Parts: sequence; C-alpha cells; structure tokens
Amino acid sequence: MKRILRRSTLVLIFTIAFIVGIGFFTVELVMGAKDWIAQPYNAHVSGSSGLEEAGKILDRNGNVLAETVDGERMYNGDEGVRRALLHTVGDNSLNISTAVQSKYRSLLTNYSLIWGLNMPQSMRTSRDITLTVDAPTCKTAYEALETTGCKGACVIYNYKTGEVICSVSNPSYDPQNPPEITEENQSEYDGVYLDNVLSSAFTPGSIFKIVTAAAALENNAPLLSQPSICYCNGTETFGSSDVHCYGWMPHGSVDLRRAMSESCNIAFAHLALDVGPEKMQSMADKIGINSSFNVDDTPTAKGHYKAPETDDNVLAWTGIGQGFDEYEDKVNPMQMAVICGAIANRGSAMNPTYIKSGTGGILEMMGIKHNESHNLINSDTAQKVDDVMPSYTLGGVNAHAKTGTAEIDVSNNINNAWFVGYSTEADCPLAFACVVARTNGIGDNTARPIVDAAMAQAAKAVRGY
Amino acid sequence: MFDTSVVFDAGVVGLRMLMPLFAIVIVYQCYAAMRRRRRPEKPLVSLYNPNTGGMIPVVFWENSIGRSKASDIIVNDLSVSRNHCVLLRRSAGWFISDVGSLTGTFVNGVRVNGRAQVLIDDIITVGNTEYQLKRGDDFTSPLRTNWFFSKVSDKPAIQAWKLMLMVTLFHLFMAVEAMFWNDGTNVYSPLVLFFALAAVEWGFFSVSYFALRRVNFELEALGLFLTGIGVMMLVRQVERSAYVQLIASGIGIALYCVIIKFIEDPDRSDKIRIPVMIAAVVFLSTSILLGKVTNGAANWVYIGSISFQPSEFVKTIFIFIGAGALDKLQTKRNLIEFIIFSIVCVGLCALMGDFGTALIFFVTFLLIAFMRSGDIKTVILAVAAAVFGVVIVLRFKPYVASRFEAWRHVWEYANDPGGYQQVRVLTYVASGGLFGVGIGNGYFKQYFASESDLVFGLVSEEMGVIVAIVIALAVALLMIYARAIATRTRSTFYSISSCCAAGLLVVQLSLNIFGATDILPLTGVTFPFISSGGSSIISCWGLLAFIKAADERTYSIKR
Repeated sequence: MKRILRRSTLVLIFTIAFIVGIGFFTVELVMGAKDWIAQPYNAHVSGSSGLEEAGKILDRNGNVLAETVDGERMYNGDEGVRRALLHTVGDNSLNISTAVQSKYRSLLTNYSLIWGLNMPQSMRTSRDITLTVDAPTCKTAYEALETTGCKGACVIYNYKTGEVICSVSNPSYDPQNPPEITEENQSEYDGVYLDNVLSSAFTPGSIFKIVTAAAALENNAPLLSQPSICYCNGTETFGSSDVHCYGWMPHGSVDLRRAMSESCNIAFAHLALDVGPEKMQSMADKIGINSSFNVDDTPTAKGHYKAPETDDNVLAWTGIGQGFDEYEDKVNPMQMAVICGAIANRGSAMNPTYIKSGTGGILEMMGIKHNESHNLINSDTAQKVDDVMPSYTLGGVNAHAKTGTAEIDVSNNINNAWFVGYSTEADCPLAFACVVARTNGIGDNTARPIVDAAMAQAAKAVRGY
Repeated sequence: MFDTSVVFDAGVVGLRMLMPLFAIVIVYQCYAAMRRRRRPEKPLVSLYNPNTGGMIPVVFWENSIGRSKASDIIVNDLSVSRNHCVLLRRSAGWFISDVGSLTGTFVNGVRVNGRAQVLIDDIITVGNTEYQLKRGDDFTSPLRTNWFFSKVSDKPAIQAWKLMLMVTLFHLFMAVEAMFWNDGTNVYSPLVLFFALAAVEWGFFSVSYFALRRVNFELEALGLFLTGIGVMMLVRQVERSAYVQLIASGIGIALYCVIIKFIEDPDRSDKIRIPVMIAAVVFLSTSILLGKVTNGAANWVYIGSISFQPSEFVKTIFIFIGAGALDKLQTKRNLIEFIIFSIVCVGLCALMGDFGTALIFFVTFLLIAFMRSGDIKTVILAVAAAVFGVVIVLRFKPYVASRFEAWRHVWEYANDPGGYQQVRVLTYVASGGLFGVGIGNGYFKQYFASESDLVFGLVSEEMGVIVAIVIALAVALLMIYARAIATRTRSTFYSISSCCAAGLLVVQLSLNIFGATDILPLTGVTFPFISSGGSSIISCWGLLAFIKAADERTYSIKR
C-alpha cells in the first residue's frame, strides 16, 4: 500500500501541473484581456450595442463626430464629414482596427478586468475624447480626394505640436449607414477598412528626391560642388539600361535647385550613383523609410528602400523613387509628412497624434504621450534641403513642396500622384502628404489640388481666422 | 431623491457576485465533508513476534511483507525475500498470499499455495521469522495519521441533505438568471428544466439514502453540482440538448451505482479481464466499422437516432482492467498484457482520428503502468515511443500539424481554422470578467462546439472566470482526495483505479481548458461533467464510481 501511495505522486504531478497551468492562464488573462476583447467578432463590443454607453468623440473645435443618443450611436450630421473621418473615428464595428472607436473601445465601453464588458449600469462613466482633427478641413480634403475615384490619402499635421489637423483615406463609407459588403460589391470596397494614411505604403516617385537630395547634401556629394550636376537630354544610359525624365523631356544643364523644381530624373540618377548605395541606404534608414513608428499606439506601415549593391541602373531608379521588384521604393504617407515636418523644423520631427484631450482620465488610461520628437536628419542638412525645395502657394499659404509621379504602368499611363511638403509661415506650421494611387493624372494636377483646397481650411483651423 | 435603478443594479450585482462565492462554498463543503466521519486510525490486526516479543500493527487492508524497505511490513531477515508475501483482508476474513518468495510462506507449518486463510492466533512463518496474528486492539501505541484526516475539527460534517439543498439552490439561481435573459418566448423554460434537474438530484439522493442506506453523499453532491451546471448552461443555448444531457446524466448515475456494485469484489477485475478486454476492443472497433466521420474524427456510432462514442465508455473499462489487488500485482510483475491492450486502444483511437482521446488513453496508461509496477523505465520507454508516434501522425495528418502551427500564435490565425476557436474563447472569457454577463446573455453560445470542447469559454463568459476556475479545481481536487485515501482503501485495486480515474479526469480537463485557451494545442476533448455530450457525462460518472469505491465506507458502513 505504501508503494502505491508513493507511486501515485506521478498522478499528483499532473494535478500540480494543471494548477500551475491555471495560474499561468490567469496571468495571461490579466495581461491580455484588454486586447482580447477588442475583436471585430466580439458581439459585446461590435455593433451598436457595444457603444451604448460610450462617450462622445469631438473634433478640435468641439464638433460632435460621434455620440450615443438613447442607446444609438449617432455620427456627425454631415455625411461628408462622416465619410472623411471614418478611418479616424471608426464605426460601430471593429473592422477599422486603427480608428479611435476600435482602438479605445474598451475604454469607451467601460471595460474592466473585474466586470468584463458587463459593468453595472450605475458604475459606468462616459468618457469623451477630443481629437486634434478639424472636421471642415477633413471634409474638404476628402471631397477633393473622392472625386479622383482612386485609392488615396491626405494628411496634414502641425509639426510643432504633432497635432494631426486633417487625415482622410479613400475609399470610405458612411458609418451611419455602413454598406453590406457582398461578393458583388467587394471590389468597390476593396481595402476600405485600411486607413491609407497610416497603414499603406505606395511607390513614391519624385517625392523620394527629397531623400536623395538629403543624402547628397549630408555627404557633400562631389557633383554638388560643380556648377551643374549634368546635362539632361531627357534620357541617358545608366548601367545596363536607360533612365528617362517624365515624358522624355530634356532639361539641359541642371543644378540641384532646378533638378528639384523641374524634377529632373537624370540629375537625381547621377546624384544617387554619386552618393553610392551604402550612403543612400543609410540616409533612407535614418530618415525612417524602412521603419515603423507609433501614432497613438498604431504602428505605421513600413516603407521600403533597398539600394542595390551592384546594379547601377536600378540604383539610379531607386534614387528617383521608383526601383524594381525587390528594390522597389515604397513610402507611407504619414512617414512622408513627418519627414517634411522634420525638414521644416530643422531636422527634428514631432510625433503625430490624433488625440487632443479626454475626460474621465481617459488619456492616462490610453497611455498617450504627447510632445515626443525624433531627430530624423541633422539640422544643417535640413536647412540645405529646405533651400532647394520648390516654393508654392497653397490655399493662400506659402509653402515648400515637392510633386511626385510614380510610373506604375507606363503603357496604360497609370501613376501614383504625390504632393508632399510644408508651410513656411511661422504661425501655421503644417506639414502634409497627399497620395492618389493608380491614377491617370500626375502629382501636380491630381494631388496638389487636394492639398491646395485643404490647406486653406487647415490654416484657418490652426490660426483661428 | 431615491433612485430605483441603483437598487435594481445593486440586486443584479449582488446576485452575480454571490454565485462565485456560493460555488466556492459548495466545493469547499463537499471536500470538507469528505474528511469527516472516518474510521479512527487504528490497526486492523497486529502481528506478534513470539521470539522478540515485538508487536507490529497491521494498518492496511492489503499489506506487503518482505525485506524491502518499501514493504508495508518490513522483516529484517536474510531468509525473507524482498517481496515475500501479502497479508490481505477480504469479506471472508484475513488471508495470506505468497508472491513468489524463495523460501515460501507457511501458516501453522503448512506451506501456502495461492491465498490461504489466517485466523486469529494462527502462526505465520516467513523465512526464519514467525508471527502470530492478533487482534488490532492488542496493539495500543498511537499511530501517525494521514494529513487529510488529521486536525479535522470536531464539528460534524455538513449534513448530506443540507449540502444537496445548497447544490439545488445554486441551480435554482442559475435558472432565475436564465429566466431574466429571455428572448420573450420561453420565459419559464429554465424553471421547468430546473425542476426536472432537481427531481434527478433528489431522486438519486433518496436512492442513496433510503435504499442503499449510505451515510455519505458528498462525492455524489459534487458530481451533481457539476452536472447540473452543465445542464443549466444549455437551457438558453439548445434547450433540447439540456434534456438529452439530463437523461444521459441519469444513465450515468445508474452506471455509477452498477459499477460500485460490480467492483465490490476487488479480485473480479483479475478474473474476468480477458473477456472484458476483448469486449472493449470489439466495442471500440465498432467506431471504425460503423462510425461516421464527424469533424475529422470517426469516433461516433449511430444506432437509429441514438449516437454515442464508444471511446468514452472504454475509458471506464481501461481503468477497471488496469487496476489490481496487491498480491496479483506482485506475482504478475510484467505488464505485457496491459501494454498490448493499451496499444490497441490508443491505436484504434488514433485510427479514428480522435487524437485527443488517444492522448488521454496514453497518459492514463502511463499512470496505471507506473502505479502497478513502479518501473520508471517502462514510462520513459512509452513516452519515447509516443513521441515517435506523434512525429508519424504529424507527417501523415497535415490537419493535426496545422493546429500545432497556430499553437501559441493563435491571434495570427484568428480567421483561419488553426486559431479561429481559441481566439474566440479568449475574447469571450475576457468579456465575461470575474462575474460573467449572465446565463443566456452571452454571445459565445452561438459558436460551434461552445457547449462541448470550448465550454470553458461559455462558462467564463456567462458565469465569470471565477466559477469556471472553481469548477475546474473541483474536478482536479478529486485527485488530491483519491491520493489522500489511497492507503485506506480496501485493496490496491481501488487505490490504483481511483487515482488513475482522477488522473484521467485531470488530464482530460487540462486538454480541454488549455487547448481552448491556447496554452496547449487544441485537441477537442470534453470538460468532465460540464461539456454537453451524453457519452462523456456517462463516462464521467463511471469514473467517479471508482473514486467512490475507494472509500472503504462505501461497502462497509450502513446507516
């Protein structure tokens, strides 16, 4: 009998292992519960019922973007505003995971570890969140973007404070009447849950010349000490193949300033080779093309820059924002806005945020840290890049900006149209990035008008007049 | 100003917080009662050594005698074998059985062959040592008591009917909660189900109390408490299943009584093991011959409108075959017969694609093999063979491998088969908080298998994670109980069968809970007593019978 008792220790070990396992699960539950509940399939939080007790979402001027009235979630009265801010505010579902109503659903719905999602009514508090975005600016930008009929994004942010004034993404839908996405209409809504500002990366085209210029300026590229970089015939052979300017247009003898303003590909192809793959790569990495950063807990989509070690032709193309296959350039719109902000702000970029303030201690619970900045380039280089940036007047605001047209499909004339830059007026420190993907237009005639329209409103929002 | 909504709120909150507390009290009371009203720790008989004048207390029903330090009665005599003989008690009296000693065992000078009866004052000779069998009262020194039974307060245990009242009240609260969350059509159906459940509970109690005249009912109360939770959980999900589950529970309880009667003689397992083994294998094979493939495993047999899983019933037989009386364990050392039987059982389960059950059989085999032989080498060898087997399975059954792929990364597979179920369990466990959202108020019930393989998520969401963990611990603690009474059983047959039955339940519980919550790969086994499933609940009651039978009072004391 004693032997049997001793041998039963093996069974006891299983039981102890089980109890340890339960302890382990409890730890996992405590650590992970907040993330576990915020799932699109969780019927307690998705759908209108999940937001029954949720507080208001307001824009920077106190315009109601979403609120609960008699247990129903009501969005802004203007459909244009609703569609423009869908990706920022979110809808009843949790499908747009980067939206405020999705990310902070557990705070909005009074989730607690003790009560789960079923906190007693009298203990619930409604917490309001005030966003940094300006509803009229977003509406203007979105309407301009929507008319292109293309996938795209436009973001404007204050590079001194980090406040995002405008952030819109197309395609979108009306959160008050969300579409039922079926097999028949799914192509129309392809990518609709993705916020292109934060979660997409597109081939940049000529806006990438800002990075190439920064690399050349920082490393004192030998070509820059000559009176002109090169003589442009509209096309030239690099390595095994040709590089051409847009429309094979010759630019003649170009220096850096003209190369920027006329967007001469040949000149930047020369510069990229002059800088060399190592230093091109190092500048792209330093400025954050290949990395992701957090905007209020949401990681941005990584861009992509890989300098080919041996192929001069591909290196030339990557220097003008194109590249091929594994060397194809990609950038994220928010990342580009931050780079522009850094140039305007002497090298240091304020981290963007969508959250201005909140009630009921919601900011502390979110763990939002404002006023964080990174040094993306040294201030000297930023100054030099600023000097060569082309000047524009956008919605009455003086700005430095760069257009970009990435040729996606030359035979069908399909491009990514870009426009990125920053205001040069001290009372309106705004940086912006706008992309219209797979359009027949080019940066100057497709992306610039969107920024032009939005900047007038954005400046008003920042200046207050 | 008086706000009535606050009062209502406080009431709802109060009831919700009461339930976990109540569950803890019930489980505590069940286990506390198990410690009480035990026979005082006294020798059953004693052995008097006329040469030295020493007196040895005989405290167990079965005692190994030998030179080995691990023997129950150690004889320091070089002419005695390490394992010499076994002194055991049966209903007909005391017997001695030689277990292959070199020099033989003698009673009053006659060499023992097989079991020989020993009467008081008879002389037992082992080697050069003689003992005279004396009454237990002749030994007067105090004995060391087992921790489980020591320091038990003098307060009498909670009376069985009071415990039953608490269990029934708990189920009534569940019914009230479920009535509150009605969809407007079946408002009172939980109450109807509750009365049916209470009838089964009190019917069983009456049979045990009046017909079988048993004094203690705490193990049954624990089983009924768990079974009732499982039944009531179903009322707002698939009401029909709740009644099916209740009927199956009734059959399970009947089986429970039959098994207890059947194993009254601990030597029966040895006598009829061959035909039972053959019957079990044939029964298990029907799954393969008649079974239909359901969710990747052909472990269901359909006869008319009744379907069942033979593997669930074979679990009970497996335990029955594996255990044995002490003298049989010591004479027949090799496990070959049982190993072959186990390989066939595990193999058949694997062949059906029911890898969860195969794993349960395998672990139970390890437990039984080790408890019988104490041979760690066999265990290591078996584990090595199993690892090899798993590698083979993963090679040829890619869908099993896909589960391993998602394991510990389920969030990356949230909408793929590998992780779909687990992430939903986690989400709804977290949604329920500590106290749950109320029975019938959850959403997890709409998912496939939420009432069976994933029931941990259902209970956690609707009743809160505290209740879910308390009922899991209630099952797991059966092992602690089985081990505490392991030396006080009427035979090693009961010690082994109860420990291994409890071990089987713990293994099954682990696979169920940890599989559903992504701590282990998901295997698809049921939560003992709680999961919906007729075969499963019947087999749980069958296994509980072994634990009940291990209690020496089950057969001896009548009210």
